[in-house]
Amino acid sequence: MRMAILGIGICCGCGNGVEALRSALQTGRVAPQEVCLERNGEADRFPTYRSSVEELSEFIPKRALRRIDHFSRMTLLGACLALKDADLLEADRSRTGVVIATGYGTLKTTFDFLDSYLDFGYACSSPTHFSNSVHNAAAAHVSMQFKATAPSLTVTQFEMSVASALLTAQLWLAEGRVDRVLFGAIDEYCEVLRYCRQQFFTDGEQGPIQPFSFDQQSAVVGEGAVFLVLTKAQEYAPYGYIDSVRLGNHLVNAVELPQDDMLIVGADGHKECGRYYAQLLKGREATAYAPLFGSFPTAAGFDLAVAALSLADRTRYPNPAVNGCANDAAEAAGRQFSDEKISCLKFGPGGDYGLIRLSL
Amino acid sequence: MDIKQKLKQVLIEELNLEDVTPEEIGDEEPLFGEGLGLDSLDAVELVVVVQKHFGVEIKDMEEGRPALQTISTLAAFIEAKQQG
Repeated sequence: MRMAILGIGICCGCGNGVEALRSALQTGRVAPQEVCLERNGEADRFPTYRSSVEELSEFIPKRALRRIDHFSRMTLLGACLALKDADLLEADRSRTGVVIATGYGTLKTTFDFLDSYLDFGYACSSPTHFSNSVHNAAAAHVSMQFKATAPSLTVTQFEMSVASALLTAQLWLAEGRVDRVLFGAIDEYCEVLRYCRQQFFTDGEQGPIQPFSFDQQSAVVGEGAVFLVLTKAQEYAPYGYIDSVRLGNHLVNAVELPQDDMLIVGADGHKECGRYYAQLLKGREATAYAPLFGSFPTAAGFDLAVAALSLADRTRYPNPAVNGCANDAAEAAGRQFSDEKISCLKFGPGGDYGLIRLSL
Repeated sequence: MDIKQKLKQVLIEELNLEDVTPEEIGDEEPLFGEGLGLDSLDAVELVVVVQKHFGVEIKDMEEGRPALQTISTLAAFIEAKQQG
């Protein structure tokens, strides 16, 4: 069943809202922020793509946000912006479902809770940190804040979270359980994640992200939230339609790429996944937008937003510049199109893949 | 820093009361409901905060209810426990 995309809300390193995303796509450049951590008397400096959630107080009073952590704030801001974009901020949402995809969940709050437990013991572990540390807390905040009283679900499946969650959204709409779905993809940065990535990837985290250097580790950690307002395909869709969602494993059943589709790949500088893109693309033209928002498991949701915006603008946006130089495919990019289909492909380690196809 | 002042600062930090300054919290202002606007979830957090920052345990509701009325009552409770 096709799903119509009625609105997009985005909050990430390139800014907040559709206009910020469009601007980043047009310029092809988003500079990561430098973070400096003091550890054992040594300064650890590294680039990150962080999100600002200041804008959220335009939608929700500050006092109402005080028990809500950064992960859920990004989630709420993404949802607000998507509803605003779809002109549904004032609509009845009693039959709107909430489906959230996250690779890691509420990392910072989870580790804050564990720290409070380790530092002060059971009696002094923060109950607020505990309640926010459960993976579905953000979805619950969205459901409560927007009175979206239909089902609410959080899917955590690392790199495959977006495709997996999207299948649930599709099912709910097909069954008629809901009229609309607020579909979100969220991941956050935290210091523990930096520490883990440093252990796993050593100095490969200094950037810049080079998505098409498949045999090189060049990922830069990012965070953000992206939301799509989805409904059944009979409605007019300003951002086009999601035609199909496929989830599988390339090593079990090889991916069959649609021949004529424009291709957006989730290559984000992770060498372990890069080899699958290298095997499959074999010189085929593709774009990858990770240098605009960073590397994290649910970045596939941001690729989806880019695809939807490309359809709305009928524009193929260029590959972001790397080291000031455009990729080869940029020659063909930035061009207008009238009736194109777009496939978004994301590989995870071990050959898992999600393939999402969109069209006008 | 006296207990009342420290309590106000800790409350703002731990309960994320971003829209209030320590000076704006009155010593006799009710913590819950009409006053500072805290709720039952904050009461649970407050018990943890008092133990963590002042080393004082609020054992049950009988003890907690009169202590958690205002900054003054809470400060007096902490002081009494620390001295006892």
